[in-house]
Amino acid sequence: MNSQEALDWLCETFEEPPGRIGETTTREEIPGWDSLGTLSLIAALDERFDIHLSEQDIDGLKGVRDIFELLRRHDALSA
Amino acid sequence: MMSNFEGRWVVVTGASSGIGRAVAIELARHGARLLLVGRNAERLAETAAALDGAEHRQLVLDLARLDLIAGAIADARKDVGLLYGLCHAAGVVETRPLSANTVQVVQSQLDVNVLAGLELARAVCRRDAMLPEGGSILFISSVYGWVGMPGQIGYCATKGALAAAARAMAIELARRRIRVNCLSPGLVMTRMTEEALEKLSPEQGAKLKSAYPLGVGQPEDVARAAVFLLGPGSAWITGVDLPVDGGYTAQ
Repeated sequence: MNSQEALDWLCETFEEPPGRIGETTTREEIPGWDSLGTLSLIAALDERFDIHLSEQDIDGLKGVRDIFELLRRHDALSA
Repeated sequence: MMSNFEGRWVVVTGASSGIGRAVAIELARHGARLLLVGRNAERLAETAAALDGAEHRQLVLDLARLDLIAGAIADARKDVGLLYGLCHAAGVVETRPLSANTVQVVQSQLDVNVLAGLELARAVCRRDAMLPEGGSILFISSVYGWVGMPGQIGYCATKGALAAAARAMAIELARRRIRVNCLSPGLVMTRMTEEALEKLSPEQGAKLKSAYPLGVGQPEDVARAAVFLLGPGSAWITGVDLPVDGGYTAQ
């Protein structure tokens, strides 16, 4: 998955219109990333990438940059 | 005429007949714009023709096709803009004693009565589909979600499931000011109930009807209560399952 696809996937996960989430977007800037959004993200990472994280791990993610870094660490993001 | 809904869009399933049709008519009288969902294009068109106002849409969709629901609602949303509400009035009943109550019989009722309702809510409540101010979701359950009846094991299961799911949804969605409620009608004379009654003897049918302290209900009785739960008058009501049943469950 490339960066643009990953951003689209995040938009879908947080139910934001396409284009609303960018590489520098922080957690606070995404309305759907509340405690329930966190559960959606955990489920989405599991389903799409087979990445298993705890809620604690996700708490450490402050924005899209951190998610991208996570995806790269799991070889899920090209570029 | 009242205009509580001020042109807000409400999805109503089961709109071709019975309770769904009556709810659609009553909502239109109160200024809502309707997305009518049903299987039968002809009967859906008849419902549309009976509505006040002209901008309503018709969506011919078989809710047993669970995989098509998200896409259909997304398309409708692109057409009409943000949505306010959902009334899931579509339902099927299969009267079977336990000995004939196969998995298939229960599954077909679960698919339309429960799973389609949840799928519709999931699609309508998306952050990019619903009005940011919030909205109102109403599932038409049944007194048979409250009490049992021979031959109705599957149906009762689905109606109880709806009520429980609605409570969880209500608590989860309150933060977004989306209310979620159920309405439990008693015996209302519609195509669905008439077909079910035909399978009973006249004596059994009469006995069933006589169990209602205020007699059998009309679709309009349910529709008026539905409009209340969908509209601004019930702004502080969420997670309830309101019996509209002529006193049946109070006995």
